[in-house]
Amino acid sequence: MIGVELRKMLRSRRTWVTILLINALPTLVGVLLAVTDLGPRPGSGPAFLSAVLSDGTLFPLAAVAIVLPLFLPTAVAVVAGEAIAGEAQAGTLRYVLARPVGRTRLLVAKLVSVVVFVILAVLVVALSAYVLGSFLLGDQPVSASVSGTTLTSGQIAWRTALALGYAVLSMLGVAAIALFLSTIVESPLAAAMGALAVLIGSSLLLTLDAANSLSPFLPTRYWLSFIDLFRDPILWRNVVRGTGLQLAYVAVFLGAAWAHFTTKDITD
Amino acid sequence: MTSLHRWLIVALTTALAIGTPLTLRALPASDSTSTPAERLDQLRASVNEPYSGYVESLGTLQLPVADELNELGPLFGERTRMRVWWNDPTLWRVDRLTATGEEDLIRDGNATTQWEYEGTKITHTREPAVRLPRLSDLLPPELARYLLSDVDAADVSALSSDRIAGRSALGLRVTPSDARSSVERVDVWIDEASGIPLRLSLFAAGSSNPALTSTFLDFAPGASSPEVFDFRHPRGSTVERPQVVDVADAANRFAPFRPPPTVADLPRSPARDLRGVAVYGDGLTQVLVIPLWDDIAAPLRNQLLDTQTVVQLTQGPALSVGPLGILLTRFLRSDGGWLIAGTVTAETLDQVAIDLRGARITPPQLSNS
Amino acid sequence: MIRTENLTKRYRAVVAVDQIDLDVREGDIYGFLGANGSGKTTTVRMLLGLAFATSGDIAITGQPMPKSRSTVLPMIGSLVEGPAAYGRLSGRNNLALFDAINATGVRRSRRTRIEEALDRVGLGGVDSRPVKTYSLGMRQRLGLAGAILRTPRLLILDEPTNGLDPQGIREIRDLLLDMNQQGTTVFLSSHLLAEVEQTCSRVGVLDRGRLVLQDDLATLTAPTGRTFVRTPDVAEAQRVLSSPVTALSDDSLLVETDDPGAVNTTLVRAGVRVLELGPERHTLEDVVLAATQSGTDSMARP
Repeated sequence: MIGVELRKMLRSRRTWVTILLINALPTLVGVLLAVTDLGPRPGSGPAFLSAVLSDGTLFPLAAVAIVLPLFLPTAVAVVAGEAIAGEAQAGTLRYVLARPVGRTRLLVAKLVSVVVFVILAVLVVALSAYVLGSFLLGDQPVSASVSGTTLTSGQIAWRTALALGYAVLSMLGVAAIALFLSTIVESPLAAAMGALAVLIGSSLLLTLDAANSLSPFLPTRYWLSFIDLFRDPILWRNVVRGTGLQLAYVAVFLGAAWAHFTTKDITD
Repeated sequence: MTSLHRWLIVALTTALAIGTPLTLRALPASDSTSTPAERLDQLRASVNEPYSGYVESLGTLQLPVADELNELGPLFGERTRMRVWWNDPTLWRVDRLTATGEEDLIRDGNATTQWEYEGTKITHTREPAVRLPRLSDLLPPELARYLLSDVDAADVSALSSDRIAGRSALGLRVTPSDARSSVERVDVWIDEASGIPLRLSLFAAGSSNPALTSTFLDFAPGASSPEVFDFRHPRGSTVERPQVVDVADAANRFAPFRPPPTVADLPRSPARDLRGVAVYGDGLTQVLVIPLWDDIAAPLRNQLLDTQTVVQLTQGPALSVGPLGILLTRFLRSDGGWLIAGTVTAETLDQVAIDLRGARITPPQLSNS
Repeated sequence: MIRTENLTKRYRAVVAVDQIDLDVREGDIYGFLGANGSGKTTTVRMLLGLAFATSGDIAITGQPMPKSRSTVLPMIGSLVEGPAAYGRLSGRNNLALFDAINATGVRRSRRTRIEEALDRVGLGGVDSRPVKTYSLGMRQRLGLAGAILRTPRLLILDEPTNGLDPQGIREIRDLLLDMNQQGTTVFLSSHLLAEVEQTCSRVGVLDRGRLVLQDDLATLTAPTGRTFVRTPDVAEAQRVLSSPVTALSDDSLLVETDDPGAVNTTLVRAGVRVLELGPERHTLEDVVLAATQSGTDSMARP
C-alpha cells in the first residue's frame, strides 16, 4: 500500500508543481539578494539570510528558513488534507478499502507519503538553493557557527543534514492534524484549511505573553529551532523538545484519525 | 475493539503527552525548614560558585528610547533567552539567543568580547569601573548580586519551595523597609544544593505582576570546559576596539564633575575608579547618577517630555517605569544634565538632584588614566 | 455464499436496513431489487465492510464479515454506487494501481490480466487518455473491468448498467452470464426489474429496509395453475368451458385449470377463435408490486 501511495504521489504532476512553487520564493529571494546585494537588517530577515551575502553555501539553510514558516506547512496541509477526503470525494476510497486495504494501513501509508513529499520538497529547496548560492551569492566561506566559532566543512555538512531532517520532522504535526481532519470532513479543502487554522492560531498564541504557559504545547513553537544546531556548542534543548512535540502530535492525531476512521461508515 | 475503546486509547495518549512534561515540572520540591536568614546566607555564599544553563528573562519596563541607551530597552522590556556558562566572575560567557542568530558576551579576565552574528561584528572592550546594564546582568545570580547585596535579614521572609529547571529551589522574599525604595519586593528562589539563585522576580510598588523576571529553564552547577570561552575571530568579521564601553563609562572618565559623597542621605558607593559617575545607596535602594553631555541629554529630555506618564519634578522631567525612576536635570549654562536613575521614589529622585547641585567641577582631563 | 441474519443498520432514528436475512447461494445470479432509498446500497456497503451493521451478522463463504475482511474481500469484485477512478491517470494505469494496492495480486500476470479485463468489458482498444475524459459509459465499463480483474468468486455489483446504452447493457449482461457460467456468483443490486428478470436466477426484494421477498425467479414466475385465453368470442368460450372462467376484458379470460391443452381442444372443437392461449404466469413486476409499497421517493399525500 505504501508503495502504491508513493507511486501515486510521485507520478502526480501536481506534486512536482507544488514543489516548484514552494521553491520559487527562496529562488526569487536568492536572485534578488545577488542582484541588489542588500541583506536584511539584523533580527528582521529569516535566519542565515544576512550571512549568505558573504557565504553562499549557507543559502540552503536560509532557503529552508524562508519556506518553513508558511509555504511548506501550507503545502503539507493541502497534501495531507487531501489524503482521505480527496479519495472519498473522488469515490476511490470505497474501492481502495474493498480491495481490501486495512484502514489503519491506509492511514499510515498516507502519512508516509506526505512525509516523503516533505523530504522531497526540502531536498529540492536545499539543492537548488545550494546551486544558486554557490553561483550567485557570496564566495567567502565564513565557516563559522552562529556563535562565531569555526566549523569544519564536515561539521557544516553534518549539521546542515540534521537541520534539514529537523525541518522535515517539524512538518509531522501539521501532517497528522490535516490527516485527522481529512478523515472527518468531506472536502479536502476544508481539512487543509482546518490544519492551517491550527497553525495560524498557534503562531498567534506564541506572540502572546498571556499564553506563555501554552507555548511548549503549540505545534509551531520549535519550528525555527533548527538554527540551534548551528550554535556552538549545539543547543539541543529546543531541538529535542521540538522533536518530542512533533512526535506527540503524530501520536495523538494519527491516533484520533485511526479511532475515527476505523469505525467510520464509508458513505461517500 | 469498539469505537469507545479506540477513543479511550487516544484520550490516554493525549493525557500522557500533555501530562508527562507537566508532571515532571510538578515533582514535589523540598520541604526544607531552613530559616530565611539561613537561605540568605546560602545565597550570598554562592557568589563564586560556577554554573551553566539556559535562562529566560521577561521584562515589562518600557524605557524611553534614546540613541545611547538603545540597548537597554530590549533588556528590560522584552523576553530574552540566554545561554550561560559561568566559571567565575572573570570567566564567563552569555549568549543572547534570537530566532535569526545570537549575540554573545564573553568575559575573560579584564576584557570582554561581544560577538554579533548578524553583523559579523566583534567588539573588544576592557571592563570599565561603571557601565550601563548589559546582557549578563539579567541572569538570576547577577540580579540577586546587585539587588540583594546589602539586604537586612529582617526584611527577608521564606517562600514555599518550587521546582525550577528540574531542581528543588528554596524561596525567599525580600521586602525593603526603606521608604525611599520604589521596590515592593523581590522574590528569589535558590538552588537547594548550591545556593545559586534560579529565579528572581522584581515587583514595583503597588504592582502584583513582576516588572522583571528571570529564571533558569536548564541549570547545571559546576564549571564548564575552557573551550566554551575560547573565541577566535571568524573570517570576514569586523573588529572594533572602542575607547569607551558606553555613555556611563565615558561620563565617568571624562565628565568634569565629582558628585558629592552623600545625596538624599544615601552614601556614595566606595567602589574604586568612580569619578564622574556615582552610585548611591545599595541593594533595593540604589541610584546611579551620570552627567550627560548636551548632545545626549537634549534628545533624551525631549523623549522624556514626549512620554505620557512624565512627571515634572522641581529639578526636571521624571519618569517612573515599574520600580525604576528616571530624572534628567539641566545644567545652568548648557543642555547637558544629570541622569539620575534608580529604584527609588520620585521624591528621593528630586532630593538626589537637589543634592547633586553640590557636585564639584574639575578641569577637563585629557588623558584617560 | 452470502448469508445475513437479522442484518440491521440504523442511522440515529432512521432504520435503513431492518433485520434482513439474505441467502445467496453459490452459483446464483442474485437480483437484489428495491426502489431508490430502500436500503440496497447500505446493504451492499455492509457486505463489503465499508459500513458497519448496527446489529446482525454477515457471513460470506461462511466467514464472518467484517471480521474476516482480509480473507473474504480479495475473493470479491465490486462496483458500488457508480465507478470511481483517479481522473488524471489512464484506464490502464488505474487498473494497475488498484491491482497493486493489495499484495494478493500477482505482479507478473498484471499486464495480461488488465488487457483481458479491458477486452471483456469492451475497452480493449482504449488509448492512454486520462479517465477524466471518459464518458459515463466508459467509466462504468472501466469500473467493471476493475471488479473482474482478479476473476473473483463473488461479484457484488450495484447498478452496473447505469449510464450504458442498450447495446452496452446487453454486453454487460452477456459478460455476467458468461462469468457465472465459469463459476462466479453474482450479486446484482438494481432497481431495474427488466434487468433482473433477464439476468438473474434468484431474486430478493427490499422494501423500506425490509426483505419482503426472496426466492428463485423460476418459482416466482412459475405457472399459476390457470390458463389465459385471448379470443374475440368471450361469451362463446365461457359457455363451452367446464372449468370456472373469469372474464378479464372483452377479448380475454382466465380459466381455472392447469391444462392449457384441454382448454384448447375444447375451444377449437366448439369453433371458438383462439388468438392466444397458454398457462398464466406472473411477471416479476406483478410479484414485486404485490410485495412492496410505493417507493420512498414518491411523496404522495396520504
